[in-house]
Amino acid sequence: MIACVAVVGHQNNPLYIQSFTEADDALKLHHIVHCSLDVVDERVNNPKKSGPTLNETFLGLLYPTENYKVYGYLTNTKVKFIIVTTHLDVRDADFFRRFHAAYVDAVSNPFHVPGKKITSTTFAERVSTIVKSFGLSSAG
Amino acid sequence: MEDYPEELRTPPVSLVSLVGFAQHHHLISTHLLSHQPPINTLALPDLSKLLLLLPKSNKPPLPVDSQPQGQAGILKRDWLVKHRTRIPSVVAPLFSSDQLSGDPTKWLQVCSDLDNLKAVIRPRNIKFLLIIILKDGDDINEDRFLALRRRAELDAKYILTFNPDDASQLQHSLNRLGSTFAELANIYYRDEGKRIKTRVEKKGINSIDFNIRSCFKTAVYAEFRRDWAEAVRLYEDAYHALREMIGTSTRLPPIQRLVEIKTVAEQLHFKISNLLLHGGKVKEAVTWFRQHNTSYRKVVGAPEVIFLHWEWMSRQFLVFGELLETSSASIQNISSLVSGTTERPLTEWELHPSYYYQLAANYLKEKRSSLELALSMSETSTEIDASAESVVPSVYVGQFAQLLELGDSVTMKPLTDEEYTRYAIAEGERFQDSFEIIALLKKSCESYGNLKARRMGSFCAFQMATEYFTVGDFSNAKQLFDGVASHYRQEGWVTLLWEVLGFLRECSKKQGVVRDFVEYSLEMAALPVSSGTDARPFRFKEYSPAGPPSFSQREVIHKEVFGLVCGEAGSASVEDNNAIKIGVTPLHIEIDHVSPLRVVLLASVAFHEQIVKPGVSTLITVSLLSQLPHTVEINQLEVQFNQSECNFVILNAQKPSFAAMTDEERGHQVESAPLRLVTNKWLRLTYGIKSKKSGKLECVSVIAKMGPHFTICCRAESSASMDDLPLWKYEDRVETYPTKDPAIAFSGQKAIQVEEPEPLVDLYLGASGPAFIGESFMAPVTVSSRGHDIYSGELKINLVDVRGGVLFSPRETESSSMDSHHVELIGIVGEDESQLGSEKFEKIQQSFGLVSVPFLKNGDSWSCKLEIKWHRPKPVMLFVSLGYSPLSDDLNAQKVNIHKSLPIEGVSAIAISHHFMLPFRRDPLLLSRIKPVHGSEQLASLPLNETSLLIVSAKNCTQVPLQLKSMSIENEVSESESSCSVQDGGNDLLRPALLVPGEEFKKVFTVVPKSVSSMCRLGTVCLRWRRDSESGDPSSFNIKEASVLSRHKLPDVKVELSPLVVSLECPPYAILGDPFTYMVKIQNQTQLLQEVKLSLADSQSFVLAGSHNDTVFILPKSEHILSYKIVPLASGSQPLPKVTVSSGRYSAGFQPSNTASTVFVFPLRPDFKMDDVGERRIESITSE
Repeated sequence: MIACVAVVGHQNNPLYIQSFTEADDALKLHHIVHCSLDVVDERVNNPKKSGPTLNETFLGLLYPTENYKVYGYLTNTKVKFIIVTTHLDVRDADFFRRFHAAYVDAVSNPFHVPGKKITSTTFAERVSTIVKSFGLSSAG
Repeated sequence: MEDYPEELRTPPVSLVSLVGFAQHHHLISTHLLSHQPPINTLALPDLSKLLLLLPKSNKPPLPVDSQPQGQAGILKRDWLVKHRTRIPSVVAPLFSSDQLSGDPTKWLQVCSDLDNLKAVIRPRNIKFLLIIILKDGDDINEDRFLALRRRAELDAKYILTFNPDDASQLQHSLNRLGSTFAELANIYYRDEGKRIKTRVEKKGINSIDFNIRSCFKTAVYAEFRRDWAEAVRLYEDAYHALREMIGTSTRLPPIQRLVEIKTVAEQLHFKISNLLLHGGKVKEAVTWFRQHNTSYRKVVGAPEVIFLHWEWMSRQFLVFGELLETSSASIQNISSLVSGTTERPLTEWELHPSYYYQLAANYLKEKRSSLELALSMSETSTEIDASAESVVPSVYVGQFAQLLELGDSVTMKPLTDEEYTRYAIAEGERFQDSFEIIALLKKSCESYGNLKARRMGSFCAFQMATEYFTVGDFSNAKQLFDGVASHYRQEGWVTLLWEVLGFLRECSKKQGVVRDFVEYSLEMAALPVSSGTDARPFRFKEYSPAGPPSFSQREVIHKEVFGLVCGEAGSASVEDNNAIKIGVTPLHIEIDHVSPLRVVLLASVAFHEQIVKPGVSTLITVSLLSQLPHTVEINQLEVQFNQSECNFVILNAQKPSFAAMTDEERGHQVESAPLRLVTNKWLRLTYGIKSKKSGKLECVSVIAKMGPHFTICCRAESSASMDDLPLWKYEDRVETYPTKDPAIAFSGQKAIQVEEPEPLVDLYLGASGPAFIGESFMAPVTVSSRGHDIYSGELKINLVDVRGGVLFSPRETESSSMDSHHVELIGIVGEDESQLGSEKFEKIQQSFGLVSVPFLKNGDSWSCKLEIKWHRPKPVMLFVSLGYSPLSDDLNAQKVNIHKSLPIEGVSAIAISHHFMLPFRRDPLLLSRIKPVHGSEQLASLPLNETSLLIVSAKNCTQVPLQLKSMSIENEVSESESSCSVQDGGNDLLRPALLVPGEEFKKVFTVVPKSVSSMCRLGTVCLRWRRDSESGDPSSFNIKEASVLSRHKLPDVKVELSPLVVSLECPPYAILGDPFTYMVKIQNQTQLLQEVKLSLADSQSFVLAGSHNDTVFILPKSEHILSYKIVPLASGSQPLPKVTVSSGRYSAGFQPSNTASTVFVFPLRPDFKMDDVGERRIESITSE
């Protein structure tokens, strides 16, 4: 199950962060997302370490915590998508591609100022649909 | 890791035993220890000790099922240490050679010893070898040796001889000893391993306990043999078998059973990880750890001792982290390892110990909270019975038992689960988990810091700080929180920042620091947390000190803090335990450009203009912005400038009572306006201000007074160069301009330039026209007042090279630059034509001067002349600036400056040139002219002892007439010493000659060289001149009435002896038809015979008699004269018949010039009248 999704701007500031858990760990998820940016930085700054993932937007598993796994995705405008799952393996970038498409639509809104937080409710709804469908498809 | 026993942490080392002859043990044992692989030695003085060590009653271990229930376990605690320290793999009795070859009683003793030994070690399969100590010259009887072999039932190679005295053989025999020991030890450990395996197979026991024990033992034996791969495999087998035991084993009460299994699993896991890491297989080790973690994480056990599980988990992470850290030195490049499997890739942090420390800390926290829960549950049964104190670890790993003392004997009583739980809780209580957690987090934090993972580090620091907070160490907590907060502020993680600030606020409250409390509260109240991208409301209990990050909470904090600072007692007591009270001491908060409190109050200042005249009012807009959730009322606003007289105060129009109270800024402008700061809306206040002082007028700060004792001082920021609000810049909010007119918002600055007052003084520079080199050029300067009095006036004079373009500052030219000395400021002449006193004229250097101007009343004027001298032609710019104060003599008074500049060109007034001429019709042959030699070309040649003419001409290159006073040639050496004499050709000037522009003045000198020289110095032409002041030239008043001396150095000449001199002689004029004699004289000045060819061409105008062509020989130092009688046939200027002379020796020809061979023929004999010659000559020159 996906516990949290986040969009992080190119200055590592949060643009959108939404958790989907029932437990009281929203803050913990914020911390996890924030810490995972270190791994993103590490991978971006040392691309040869990641070897095959060069030129790949999908960064794969960033780091495992006790209860969660964190996956990352980096767009060419250096916007990062982070998802935190509860022991759900994300093997390909399919989820992220849909997420990215939703993000592109949201920032294409002429009233959206680039670099500011995403407040669009449509985007929020789309993301929650993607998260739900993904949870279902992988569970099934 | 230090908690583990030594034998577990280090790889096992084979153990052998030496028996008897203790004096040799040290030598042998040190050698064995340095052997590769090392061997430990158990040195026993005699056989009886071995018998004690290995008691004979050695029965094979009991089968598992026969062991009594409750006392059994998986591994015995002391098994490993026993094999490492007590049971040797090889026993080696030492015998001396005379024991063997000596008398029969000794031999019998040896035999019985051997029998005893065999009896002891055989059941244990311990190998043995014999060492025979030889003395020098000893030899062993062959028969005895055979008998010994038979007796000992040993192969010959296991009976070793050893001679400690034979130094040459010692090393060799020690090496042999070492390798034999190693070989036998290896065989022993292998056999033992095999024996256990076969026993398992033979018995076919499927008891898992037994299986695990066998695997463990075999693995240890493999380790003894240094067969690491085999050891890992066996440990893994044991580990897997152990995992299966959970849920199947029923031997012990459930809690203790799990504890035992986990303890054993921990040991096995430690062994495996250690072996893998030391083998350099980091990836495998990490993967193994991950498996270990996943297989046991869920095995939490009984709820009342769940803390044991978390403690155990924490220890796993800690130990693995430590292992990784110790072995990481041997790992070359961790980053290259990060690839992992496609199934489950390894991530960066999993290879760094910091990750494990962090998780260890997390589990320890988990342990603490469950322990607290367990404690609170067990509080009811407070009777801590003494039985818990007597609990000790039992013989088996991971088991505990109660020690019962019955008289002298001690027995171990198994525990019930309840007893064990009590014991575990009591043990758990004794540890200070918080400090352990902080230590772990600190390690992790430092390690992340080294990896430049700042966010991870911050998170660890945050956890550390919360830990300090719970412990009550607020100062440490605050320090850490502050660091973390600044990081979150930078990256705009508002929710995280909110949380940290909540803690900080609480810390400062607990510490009673009002100022910090207010600052943190204000910052929290102004944080952009309300807009909530996260639709789900945060739950309260997550955010214990801060409350949930929501708009309503911000409002609560806002009210609380303003209630506190404004002293409204009613709202201050939002919380009962609020220890913070604002006293009578005023609270003052500063907000600068980088302060996080800019969101609370931002002051933007914009002058509407950039430059203003003094005393003229200009508009300034002060705009304030706040992101606080509620409208804030400001009682009084003070705007401060760098010129304090411009400060003004704005009072809140809606609080008149307050205004009366604080009217202390008397003399300052006081305005009033409604001062209500609405959230995210600029409060714009525009006023006019005047400054009387010139210079920069800058708005420094805006001070808002909000309560009786609370002020916020906000550094003013220019609206044009204002940074975005931190944190709020990512928010989707309405952004407006700080001023009504957006243009001012983009260009407005917080500083304005106040101009100087207009100078009411005139400064004239009167000089004109070019200055001439050498003269003292006068540049008149006039200062005349037209409305200002001049106090402490000072003239600054600066001469600047126009071409260089650089304005010479006094310092720059001081250092070098000879160039600037081509033009020199010599002095200043006052109005009354007298040199000013030195106290008035401070000449700093050649191109810079300072003159003080005396006090001048309005309408007065003062003037002086600058005396400037050029040494080279150069255009310069003369800058003169006058600084004065119009009001008073005070040094600090406002200065007014006026600047003037004037370009002046310096030119050469007179160009002097010269040339040499030979005497008329006399031509010496100068060889250097025929064959010019390179290098000496420049020098003119003059013939020795002949009179040459030097004509010096001086030309006026200027635009003004000049007066020439004298021209002479000065020679540095005196006449007598000089190699040539130079004399005026005529009289000196009787009166100064006037030279109009472009005119040339010539003077003739005669030069007679007296000795041959290649460089004859002629001297310097000295010319005295001055401007012709009588002609009424307007620029002449510039010049001081003194003549200028111009010098022109004459070039050196070469003096040489001419071998031949040809001179033509004929009368100065001829008369038509009257014959005259035309003589050609050739003088040979050499010591040689000279052959000279002569030819004479006919001329139409003359009839002549004589040979036309001839070759003559001229004797040394003699003269040959050719004379012709000539009759002129035509009148007028007629060319004489042309003579050509050529010398064979020098291959030089000579033809007289046209002028030299022309003579005037009168038609009749003329009648001359002589007149005054001098008068006429001057006339002729000047009228030329």
